[in-house]
Amino acid sequence: MNESIVWLREGATGNPVQASLFDEITDDHLLLWSTTWSPEMRRYVAANAPTDRPEDSHWNWRIKSFSSSGLLSCHSFSLVCNGELQALMIARDLASAKLPGQFGQPLVHLEFVATAPWNRPEFHQPVRYKGCGRILILAAIEVSRACGGKGRIGLHSLPAAEDFYEQKCGMTLLGADAAHQNLSYFEMTETQADQFRRNQMKP
Amino acid sequence: MKLEYPKEWFLRSADIEGEAEIGAGIPSWNPKTPTTSETHSASRIAFGRFVELWRRNKGWNPERLADEAGLDPEEILEIENDPQAEPEPDAVFKLAKVFGVAPKGLYVIAGLVEPRSSILRDKVVRFAARSENVSSLDEAEREALEAFVSALSKISTES
Repeated sequence: MNESIVWLREGATGNPVQASLFDEITDDHLLLWSTTWSPEMRRYVAANAPTDRPEDSHWNWRIKSFSSSGLLSCHSFSLVCNGELQALMIARDLASAKLPGQFGQPLVHLEFVATAPWNRPEFHQPVRYKGCGRILILAAIEVSRACGGKGRIGLHSLPAAEDFYEQKCGMTLLGADAAHQNLSYFEMTETQADQFRRNQMKP
Repeated sequence: MKLEYPKEWFLRSADIEGEAEIGAGIPSWNPKTPTTSETHSASRIAFGRFVELWRRNKGWNPERLADEAGLDPEEILEIENDPQAEPEPDAVFKLAKVFGVAPKGLYVIAGLVEPRSSILRDKVVRFAARSENVSSLDEAEREALEAFVSALSKISTES
């Protein structure tokens, strides 16, 4: 397991905070998920109307992690800061691009991406840490580059996150995917991945 | 895979991200693939038997096991006696910690995840058959239990 030193911004103060990105979801990470993240999610679901329920509220990361562990094509990531789990991702490298001009080219598909409840504006204002999402996107791009995908990635966005992928990551929206519950499908090309890595979008 | 970017990259990236909502994946996707009812049923029976034999081998009653695992005694009774009941993933995880076996293996035995190898599936069925319920834990049961614990410890490589 590799650990990368990364940085987040504290939501309340804007201060930089060092964090760690692990290229694995370990039992310790899953224990943090079940003892902190999951109970907070359950409390939120119990206190709010079903229509306000986060789309990932029932995701069980133990099962997702087990189902992907040991598969050569799957890549799991855990983001940890100050001993707390901040975000999780599972990606798969056996996918191919759908964009015209890229069709059939190798691509890393982000199967599951989620941030901890305290990093979501609907749970906490201000959020505890900013920057978790783009760190996971960067990790997926680097996996893609290492696997011959040249930075190409694709994902099915949860409805509330579509702006993030289009506006904050510079990905291309291909439209609703009827085969995946009509979720919006986004792709990032090699050129877009290079732009993302140059980090020159406007805040 | 290791990210090697300067601190400034991440801080600017956090500013770009702001308080955007993040999330991707099929909301109702369930990694549990359909199982044949036969294997599924054998798996649940095996899980219940395993919990019961492990408990009796320690000389514990269901209440003691529930205390050790941080579960309700009703959950233990349901796991041991009702093959139709689907145990909660967290309950299985807690039991795996008490038993000292790989949670991954116990998820398979509990029928929460389809085994990736036919070898493990065969072991589950064989265990269910060998550990048919009897009143006391005799030598054969103890041997079955020990063999199964040994198989569970190797599950990471087999599954």
